[in-house]
Amino acid sequence: MSRFLRYFLLLLAAASFIYPFIWMVSASLSSERGLSSLTVFPVEFTWSNYGSVFSKIPLGRAFLNSVLVAVVTTTLVLISGAMAGYALARLRFRGRDLIFYLIIFTMTLPFQITLIPNYITMVKLGWVDTYFALIVPFVLNSLSILLFRQAFTSMPQALIDAARLDGCGELRIIFQILFPNILPTVLTITILTFMGLWNEALWPLIVIRDEPTMTMPQLVTLFSVGGRAEGQLGVKIAAAVMLAVPIVILYLFFQRHFIRSMASSGLKD
Amino acid sequence: MAEVRLKHIAKAYTGDSRVIQDVSIDVNDKEFVVLVGPSGCGKSTLLRMIAGLETITDGELFIGDRRMNDVPASERDIAMVFQNYALYPHMTVFENMAFGLKLRGLPKDEIRERVSKAARLLEIENLLDRKPKDMSGGQRQRVAIGRAIVRNPQVFLFDEPLSNLDAKLRGQTRIELQKLHRELSATMIYVTHDQVEAMTLGDRIVVLRNGDVMQYDTPLNLYNHPVNQFVAGFIGTPPMNFLSGRITDAGPLRFESPNQEVMIDLAETGYGNALKPYRGKTVVLGIRAESISHQPFTDRTFHRQPVVVEALENMGSETLAYFLVENQRFIARLSAEQNLSFGQRIDLFWDSTKFHFFDAQTEQAIQP
Repeated sequence: MSRFLRYFLLLLAAASFIYPFIWMVSASLSSERGLSSLTVFPVEFTWSNYGSVFSKIPLGRAFLNSVLVAVVTTTLVLISGAMAGYALARLRFRGRDLIFYLIIFTMTLPFQITLIPNYITMVKLGWVDTYFALIVPFVLNSLSILLFRQAFTSMPQALIDAARLDGCGELRIIFQILFPNILPTVLTITILTFMGLWNEALWPLIVIRDEPTMTMPQLVTLFSVGGRAEGQLGVKIAAAVMLAVPIVILYLFFQRHFIRSMASSGLKD
Repeated sequence: MAEVRLKHIAKAYTGDSRVIQDVSIDVNDKEFVVLVGPSGCGKSTLLRMIAGLETITDGELFIGDRRMNDVPASERDIAMVFQNYALYPHMTVFENMAFGLKLRGLPKDEIRERVSKAARLLEIENLLDRKPKDMSGGQRQRVAIGRAIVRNPQVFLFDEPLSNLDAKLRGQTRIELQKLHRELSATMIYVTHDQVEAMTLGDRIVVLRNGDVMQYDTPLNLYNHPVNQFVAGFIGTPPMNFLSGRITDAGPLRFESPNQEVMIDLAETGYGNALKPYRGKTVVLGIRAESISHQPFTDRTFHRQPVVVEALENMGSETLAYFLVENQRFIARLSAEQNLSFGQRIDLFWDSTKFHFFDAQTEQAIQP
């Protein structure tokens, strides 16, 4: 009996998490009149909400922008993080620990605090309404540096020595010798960075006003609150579903690594 | 042609504390030299300095005729075998061995040829497609040696390559390394803390302590003519027995232990003249376990010492007998036929021609 109760409570909790998402999908496929009820299946099934979204905003273009920004930035985060992490883990130089603590310190600052200075910098550089504004401020990531540093610290020194004797320079040591041996860390950083970038709406809202350069979350947010949806809840919800779909698909592919990434970083955004 | 010359080499990490004091060693072409010493003596640091993995604080390093102080590790024409093998985990055996050659821009055919030749020599041809994690420790060690061989270097460096292997495999690999040295006729420098490895492998041995060379000589000379008490105690198993005592000359010149448990007439030891200046002073007597016998020597002089057997280790071929002299533990290596038992009182005979004496202050050997 207690066992039954336990599972009942667990199911209830699970449903409370999943139901909003189910409703969102079903609502996006319902007609406007069906939205007032809490259902599981679409009421008066229709694709028209999706049709409206695509006709009203350049969602395809925004999707490509998001992919471009997320992929390029994640790649650069991996490169810069690996190089900085390696230096902090393996090279001996004056002030190394101080630099490391400074980098850790920046993790305690919420992005909102640096928002204004960053924005002013973008304006001065003339990067407003360009991809640079979306990419450059994110290519150095203290969490990725920290994770890379920990991973490189745990590698045996002899491996690096052997590579050096074989004729490797530091870059080759990092990317050809060490990188393939810390793939779980690389994947963790990739997933966390990619997800963070994909979901970022606040920063693009500030630096991008030019519609063809907008990312998906920005465009969807603007669409939903900016009046372009003309009050049609179904269309707004369809846009939100489109925003969530890529990450859900990625999650299905990398489920195991997602969970490990969350657990290993101890962070949840 | 590659002799390796170290001239007044020193290493300091921070400030004045030097981990390598002032080391000068000449390693001849095709010689097998072993660096041996207790942990923390600086032997690995010295090897890493030769390899180019550590900077040289002071002094000069030559390989062949070239000064190597500022030459990067990859251009010193050396290869190194590491204690934990240091194979690239994500590469197959073939890729591991080929990697260095590929970076040097060798043509593919030659790489393939060199790798398969080394693989044949080491009998690892069937492992070429495996990853390191799918191999045993002994196999990994062979691959690590193979990776060094394919480079065809002037000098091979070994950093405790056998210490991760079990005892049996260690013995086998030791013999194979000797064979390899003959076949490759290359200069080899080998670091170990195991003096048995040092004695069996080295043409010459460098005994290090606290970053300083204690003695650099052939294995037999180290064994028979240690220059100080440290070398005497470090080389040889079981270690040499030591006993401090005073030189007295009331009557004939004698060595007397503090409680007069041991009194040795020095006239018969060959040290009569050498120890005269030590009259009234303290010296340390050293005698090896195998220079103590349960029966009198017929062909040479001996010292008879009554002892009580404290412990016995029967090894089959021999028996190690432990006993106390002046509360110091002594070990004697006796023939196995002895029917000894614990607590038994016996007379043991010390070979008077095999005594060593050391200055108690400086620990330097006193030459007869």
